[in-house]
Amino acid sequence: MGKETLPFSQRLFRALVRVLPFDFRTNYEGEMEGVFRDQQREVDERGGVMGALKLWKETIVGIFTTAPREHWQILTSDCDYAFRMMRKNLGFTVVAVLTLALGIGANTAIFSVVHSVLLRPLPYPQGQQLIFIRQQEKKLGIEDWGFSVKEIEDYRAQNRSLAGLVEYHAMSFTLFGHGDPERVRTGVVSANYFDLFGVQPLLGRTFLPDDEKLGAPPVLLLSYEYWKNNFGSDPGIVGKTFEMNDKVHTVVGVLPPVPQYPNENDVYMATSACPYRSNKMHLEDRDMRMMEVFGRLKPGVTVAQANADVSTIAAGLKAAYPKSYPENVGFTSAVSPLQEELTHAARPTLLLLLGAAAFVLLIACANVANLTLARMARRERELAVRSALGAGRSRILRQLLTESFLLAIVGGILGLMLAYGSLELLTDFMGRLTPRAREIHIDSGVLLFTLAAALGTSIVFGTLSALFSRANLSSSLKEGSSGAGSSYQQNRMRSALIVCQIAFSFVLLIGAGLMLRSLIKMQQVDAGIVPQRVLAMRTAFNWSKYTTSDKTRVVIQKLLDRVKSQPGVLSAAISSRYPFEPEMITGGPESVSFSFQIEGRRLEPGQAPPVSTYAAVSPDYFKTLGIPLKAGRMLSETDSDDLKAPQVVLINEEAKRRFWPNEDPLGKRVSADGGEHWAAIVGIVGDVREFGLDHAPSPEFYGPQAQGPQPGNLIIRTAVEPQSMAQALTRAIHEVDSQTAVTHILTLEQARYESMASPRVTASLLGIFAALALVIATAGIGGIMALMVSQRVREIGIRIALGARPASILQMVLGQGMVLAVLGVGIGIAGAVALTGLVKSLLFEVPPTDVLTFSGVGLTLLAAAALASYLPARRAAAVDPNVALRAD
Amino acid sequence: MTKKRETESFLPLTPAMFHILLALADGEKHGYAILKEVARRTEDKVRLSAGTLYGNLSRLESAGLIAESDVRPDLVLDDERRRYYLLTEFGREVAVAEAQRMEEALGQARAKKLFRKPRLA
Repeated sequence: MGKETLPFSQRLFRALVRVLPFDFRTNYEGEMEGVFRDQQREVDERGGVMGALKLWKETIVGIFTTAPREHWQILTSDCDYAFRMMRKNLGFTVVAVLTLALGIGANTAIFSVVHSVLLRPLPYPQGQQLIFIRQQEKKLGIEDWGFSVKEIEDYRAQNRSLAGLVEYHAMSFTLFGHGDPERVRTGVVSANYFDLFGVQPLLGRTFLPDDEKLGAPPVLLLSYEYWKNNFGSDPGIVGKTFEMNDKVHTVVGVLPPVPQYPNENDVYMATSACPYRSNKMHLEDRDMRMMEVFGRLKPGVTVAQANADVSTIAAGLKAAYPKSYPENVGFTSAVSPLQEELTHAARPTLLLLLGAAAFVLLIACANVANLTLARMARRERELAVRSALGAGRSRILRQLLTESFLLAIVGGILGLMLAYGSLELLTDFMGRLTPRAREIHIDSGVLLFTLAAALGTSIVFGTLSALFSRANLSSSLKEGSSGAGSSYQQNRMRSALIVCQIAFSFVLLIGAGLMLRSLIKMQQVDAGIVPQRVLAMRTAFNWSKYTTSDKTRVVIQKLLDRVKSQPGVLSAAISSRYPFEPEMITGGPESVSFSFQIEGRRLEPGQAPPVSTYAAVSPDYFKTLGIPLKAGRMLSETDSDDLKAPQVVLINEEAKRRFWPNEDPLGKRVSADGGEHWAAIVGIVGDVREFGLDHAPSPEFYGPQAQGPQPGNLIIRTAVEPQSMAQALTRAIHEVDSQTAVTHILTLEQARYESMASPRVTASLLGIFAALALVIATAGIGGIMALMVSQRVREIGIRIALGARPASILQMVLGQGMVLAVLGVGIGIAGAVALTGLVKSLLFEVPPTDVLTFSGVGLTLLAAAALASYLPARRAAAVDPNVALRAD
Repeated sequence: MTKKRETESFLPLTPAMFHILLALADGEKHGYAILKEVARRTEDKVRLSAGTLYGNLSRLESAGLIAESDVRPDLVLDDERRRYYLLTEFGREVAVAEAQRMEEALGQARAKKLFRKPRLA
């Protein structure tokens, strides 16, 4: 029967049979076809469609029930065999599994962060519709100006693209009626805030429109964590009352455990309950901006459409209220997806870390492939015997892939455990970069990723080794026992893998090295203050008691006097903020910026007014922080609120450079309210890196607390270790006013340390990855050199017998190792230079091709390679020619 | 003892396996002949397809219950590609053990008077 005349039914049968394992087919396909032909002939003879249909049905069912059983059987026997081989080569197994575990674990850990923070949608229904709206003063470089009550009303009334628009601001209030007076972080929100986010209460209700009406009885929602930690998850909490801001507040509900954006709060209140938000000034003054605004897009509306919508509203506002939106500040408004808003700060770091983790996995892969190749050399005979005994080539390939997959799976499980163990640390790290950090967890997506990583890994190194078995199977039976004939080709392959490992390690080490260098540079920067032995304490009065500036001034003075009289206090000041204050590090200079005018200077039409940051400080602020006076005088007690006393400010050197580059600013006057009030510059002080060591000092104005009280922080220079005085100082504050909440007690050194958290996190994680890479690569070099030596024992023996000195043998082996290392470093340099763009934005005063880092890393790697080659080299030099030549 | 245990590890056989062993009990056969014989003897109650037949043959062969025979009964008439299978000694023991197991079960069913005796007229 010729092939060309094969009837359709036979061809179909042949196609069906293909679902059976290859070996099964090799063995039985011909016979099966024969049987099927016979059956068909019989059916044809009898005639009838039913018979034919029945035959097909039975045949199809038969093949599809047999196939899984046969595949399963092969899999179990392969696994069985693989496990036996793994046990037999325990050393290899342990090293390979650990290497893979490190590679897969690093990737799983970082991926779980990327997945939770960047990829997963926000944990709210239709989270992609949630947006953040900001008003900007483009020309002043102010990206987020905030919103006033009037503006919120306008946007709410005029927008066409939003299904809802809500406001938010965070406050800190004192809550009475639950043990000691307690400072609670309070989110002040619109009534429909939680509806907009789609959050249902766990107990009770969320806010109703009536709660937001002015004069409505104040109500509170508790966050899940606050309810759980402070009220022991009391199910009867709804209806309980507390006193805040001199008013009775009733708890109406408890929130479910959802992540809270933009800040975590203990309680939430409606806008009307906030004493600031509901005072006349805030309600009526368009320029009193302190709110953040969120919205939900109408279904089908894009972010671009919403953007166009809000900028039209902004243009309308500008036309209607020119005084509030001067032409020269570049006022506009824009929309961005909330998800982007919450994650953009973490994105570059995360992508860098993901890349670094991928490098570690590649290095691990190359290393395990190398180990496998080395083992293949020893297994060639075993495989050749199996092949001679009838195992098909694909059968052996399948066996080898099963073995590598098992290794990868065991490595993957271990890696998953590693990742799981590191989650808490990662969450802590990431908390400094994104508010989504608390969502980090390992879910099915991450598990799938780990599985894919393990599968991909095993395919890479399994195929590599299988390819080799294919190339060498036929020859190895004829060869000597060590498979020496193929070793040249194999060694070349292994050497290439080693070079890759070194190159990848080099790139990783450069990344870590650059981050470290930049961290060190940052630490060496002169911040402009003397941070040793300075304590900062956030002090918040019960504001309902201090309703006027006069009352505030009095209590501030009392407080300072009381604190200064404490033994161990060298000086004390009160200020609106202080250098490295965590809020300033996240908020940046723009959060305390204001625009002003300089007396006698006219702006060109369209020219932006000057912008500076502002802090209200008491006279001893500079003495307490060690900020030097450069010209003029310091602030003094005479700079008071007395109407006769002139308004004064100090500026820093940067402000002089920026605004009075060629003249003496002393005596010049500036105004922040369009010329209504003028303040004279009386002194120039040194620059301070207020907003982080990596932020160049910005122009700064310091006004006296007495002429505009903005208390916030107590800054104290002590004679002893400052934290040890925290308790006594808190007591002293409470003696002045027992209702004052004292929180955020931090030494300035701690604040300085914390301010570097983000670069430190990146540097440490990169450092860990780079160290892993270095260890794996070094072990790889050592391993391959040892293998090469053991393969060449005979040759080395002959050389020694012919008179080669041990030193020259040592040199030869060492040299071979170093050639690989130098090649790897060379490729690594090229790779690192090509990838500099990735880290550039994260570096501080270190060029991405920093010579010191490159040479340091290169030398480290070469030294590690030399060390790793030295041990095998010494063994080679010690070869006894008598033993070597007699062996085998 | 160990042999008995080895035999018993195969019990109970699937009907298909048992009938394949039975089909080979009276001599070597090729695949199609086994399939025909089983269908005939069970009056089509046990029907094998090409897939199930060779799946079973493969398993029986690797377990050593059957083996490929090199004897070809009629070389002239026979298709060259056909392989013949024979029952091994071990296969026979397994088949016997299975038959005994069935017999025991049958005996117990009888003892419980599961079958109603036909009444004599």
